[in-house]
Amino acid sequence: MKADYDNYTLLSYHHIPDVHRLDVFESAGGYEMMKQFVGTDPDKIKEEVKASGLRGRGGAGFPAGVKWGFFSKDRLAKKYLLCNADESEPGTFKDRYLVETCPHILIEGMVITAWALGTQRGYIYIRGEYYHQALVLEAAIKEAYAKGYLGKNILGKGFDFDLAVHRGAGAYICGEETGMISSLEGKKGQPKLKPPFPAIKGYRGLPTMVNNVETLAAVPWILRKGAGAYKAWGTEKSPGMKLFSISGDVNKPGVIEVPLSIPLNDIIEKHCGGMRNGKKLKAVIPGGSSAPVLTADEVLTTKMDYEDVAAKGSMLGSGAIIVLDETRDMGQVLKWTLEFYHHESCGQCTPCREGTGWLEKILKRGEAGHGKIEDIQLLDTVAANMRGRTICALADAAAMPAQGMVKKFRKELEDYIVRG
Amino acid sequence: MSEVKTTPPPPPAAPPVPKEKVKFLWNDKEIEAKPGSNLLKAALDNKIEVAHYCYHPGLSIAGVCRMCMVEQEGVPRPFPACNAVVTEGIKVRNDTAQIKAAVEWTLQLHLVNHPLDCPICDQAGECGLQDYYMKHGVYDSSMIDKKVHKDKVQDIGRNVMLDAERCILCSRCVRFTDEVTVTHEMGIVNRGDHSEITTNDSLKNYYAQNLVDICPVGALTSKDFRFKQRVWFLDDVDTTCIGCETGCSVKVSFNKNDAYRVKPVFDAAVNGYWMCDDGRSVYKHVGRADRLVTFMENRTGLFLPAIEKEVVGKLKEKKKNFILSTDLTNEEYAAFFSRLKGESVNVALYSLPEHKLEDGRDFDGLLRRSNKNANLKGAEAAFKKAGFDASEAALQTLVNNLKADDAIFIVMPEVVYNEDHLETLVKKVKNAGSKVALTSNEAFYFMKDFDYLLPLPTFLEKTGTMLNFKGLERKLNRAKNTWGEASKTVASYAELMFGE
Repeated sequence: MKADYDNYTLLSYHHIPDVHRLDVFESAGGYEMMKQFVGTDPDKIKEEVKASGLRGRGGAGFPAGVKWGFFSKDRLAKKYLLCNADESEPGTFKDRYLVETCPHILIEGMVITAWALGTQRGYIYIRGEYYHQALVLEAAIKEAYAKGYLGKNILGKGFDFDLAVHRGAGAYICGEETGMISSLEGKKGQPKLKPPFPAIKGYRGLPTMVNNVETLAAVPWILRKGAGAYKAWGTEKSPGMKLFSISGDVNKPGVIEVPLSIPLNDIIEKHCGGMRNGKKLKAVIPGGSSAPVLTADEVLTTKMDYEDVAAKGSMLGSGAIIVLDETRDMGQVLKWTLEFYHHESCGQCTPCREGTGWLEKILKRGEAGHGKIEDIQLLDTVAANMRGRTICALADAAAMPAQGMVKKFRKELEDYIVRG
Repeated sequence: MSEVKTTPPPPPAAPPVPKEKVKFLWNDKEIEAKPGSNLLKAALDNKIEVAHYCYHPGLSIAGVCRMCMVEQEGVPRPFPACNAVVTEGIKVRNDTAQIKAAVEWTLQLHLVNHPLDCPICDQAGECGLQDYYMKHGVYDSSMIDKKVHKDKVQDIGRNVMLDAERCILCSRCVRFTDEVTVTHEMGIVNRGDHSEITTNDSLKNYYAQNLVDICPVGALTSKDFRFKQRVWFLDDVDTTCIGCETGCSVKVSFNKNDAYRVKPVFDAAVNGYWMCDDGRSVYKHVGRADRLVTFMENRTGLFLPAIEKEVVGKLKEKKKNFILSTDLTNEEYAAFFSRLKGESVNVALYSLPEHKLEDGRDFDGLLRRSNKNANLKGAEAAFKKAGFDASEAALQTLVNNLKADDAIFIVMPEVVYNEDHLETLVKKVKNAGSKVALTSNEAFYFMKDFDYLLPLPTFLEKTGTMLNFKGLERKLNRAKNTWGEASKTVASYAELMFGE
């Protein structure tokens, strides 16, 4: 079976049975781009990716080509390429689906990126819970080594690239790139102070490029069809295709690949078969649990691209869409969210360490029947004062949903906190 | 623990930066600093008060307390000053409404799970939380929920007590054991507001008390000091440690006549920001109950107070021999020798024996040295200048030639590491007719055969200079305490013996 490059970029191979096997993947068209581009001018590859406008798919949405531009230009210097497969944001499961079905698309993307950036060694940092996926990746890497696509002198082009899988131990914060680097170094998974940024001083103090699975896996397609074809999808600022992982109260939850800027309502109604059990839509968390909530009215007008979701006061994040129907208690949704961030705060910076716990306590006190009407304001104030004051974005990730909920569902939150 | 290095790095030195200075604005005040130097340090060095907990000039940057946030013109987001460097012409502010709110709220968040047990906390009075609360806080706490509780009374070794609840997790202690002692003994375990500092076993390094100094709150306190004094009753005197030849700059805290603790004072030339644990106890003899403060005479085994005139009268006609210690000031040696001019007298120097470090070395690479003579260099110079021999051989000659009509005056070392060695010397002078011990310390058991005990001032009761191991002049300052007749120096006794 042949790959479907016309309708998909990342999921072009996913309809093919056994595509996790290298021979199946290759006969479908895989590794063609690696053979074509490894050994060619690395600057051309970087320019193509930059021209495509591909934005980092981990959540922050920083243009990948620009990030590559910050990287050391010295090809001989020791450098690392890390693939962030930690995917710890609640609601996100796109990378899991991507690699468990078709691991070689990631390996191909990493070999090309490694060649473009001149890195000699790479790691795929995969979250600890993805045990099966780690085995799939390891088997695929073994196949690629046997075929000479990894290791010394790849394709006889005099290019060495070693790749290994490293499993995390289950910490959310290791999905933050510097937290991931600390973890990979064998230290406690805590983000590092920036500057210096990893592109200058990262893993083991050496230049390190960290990209998300989805970002790296998109590279072969961009080279195959060109930046122009990629930009044909989406908007000026959010070009291309994106994986969305949809969970919650819809009939068909799962992972889809659609062009950016698709109406959110289309995703729910067309791709996910509408609301489950005929219930009414109440709210959507559009970008993983750290994104502020959107009301049902806002959902109707929201287009899923970086700028439109931001204009609605939320964020596209990792593309994890959590759909909530009318039966959901927003106080409880917020409580679970805050409990998660309290549990996952690494404890390094004071505002996050103390603030995440405080937010959770306010809600739980309300739940236990000891809430006061002023607690809503307190919740908002504490959250506001955690934002932008920490090393990484975990404090913001906890504060944003709290503030979003206060803003959009204040009435319901009052019911929850004051009346238990 | 495979990373433990045998030689810890030398005291922290400023990174090499070009000599010329740049100017920048901090809240519109023009400040000069070396380009590339730390922004927070530049401000602090220019007497600008900036709230901070985790930053310490002798340690690496952690950037976790988030108190020193500043705004810079042209930079979109506030950032911590401790992780920024000075460049020409930058305009930095920390007096805007936004930053003030950030500092106040970050402080409030520091206190959310703090037990606020100031009334029983030893840090009270010199606590970063109290100080900044009065300056940046002064709000009513909005926190009414249950606080996170942690272990309060933990003996983590080397006289250091840990109260995990009071800890604000600034990580200074962790960085100290990682970077200064390179023993990696402290760490932070658990996550979020359950994080706490802990040791893998118990502290074993010989600099552990520095952890108490650098702890900005009352989490790490000294077992030696805790519950003894309130810090606002203490006065400090800047002086020099007499524990060994290194000569660290220290301050000794005292209240009335008693000293209570020794802390290091920054001195780039000698000790940097630190001092060793041995030096922490050099104050102990100053206020001890059995310290000699009056002239004492041996009345058949019982030492009783004596009258100065009588003692002097009995000793004056004898042939006098002096054995000096190595911990007197240069000025004391000079005054002593100048008084001896024209007199027939023997003088020798007793230097403390080498006190090897635990691993048999002479120097641990940081501050501790096996040579415990505080002013050996100064003593040798003074002996040479006065025409006396300071060698060990000269001491033996003096001791061996003592006769029945001789009087021997032994100046006892202030800090005695090896009592057996001192006892050996004391036993050798038994031939002398009159044996006199001059001491600022207790009366040791081996002095029981002495005829007279005369009091001396301790290092805290004198002003003067000493020369440390590399010949650097170190200053001693007098604290405002008095110990009766113990104000007489060695030179005063020489005056008494040889005067009219």
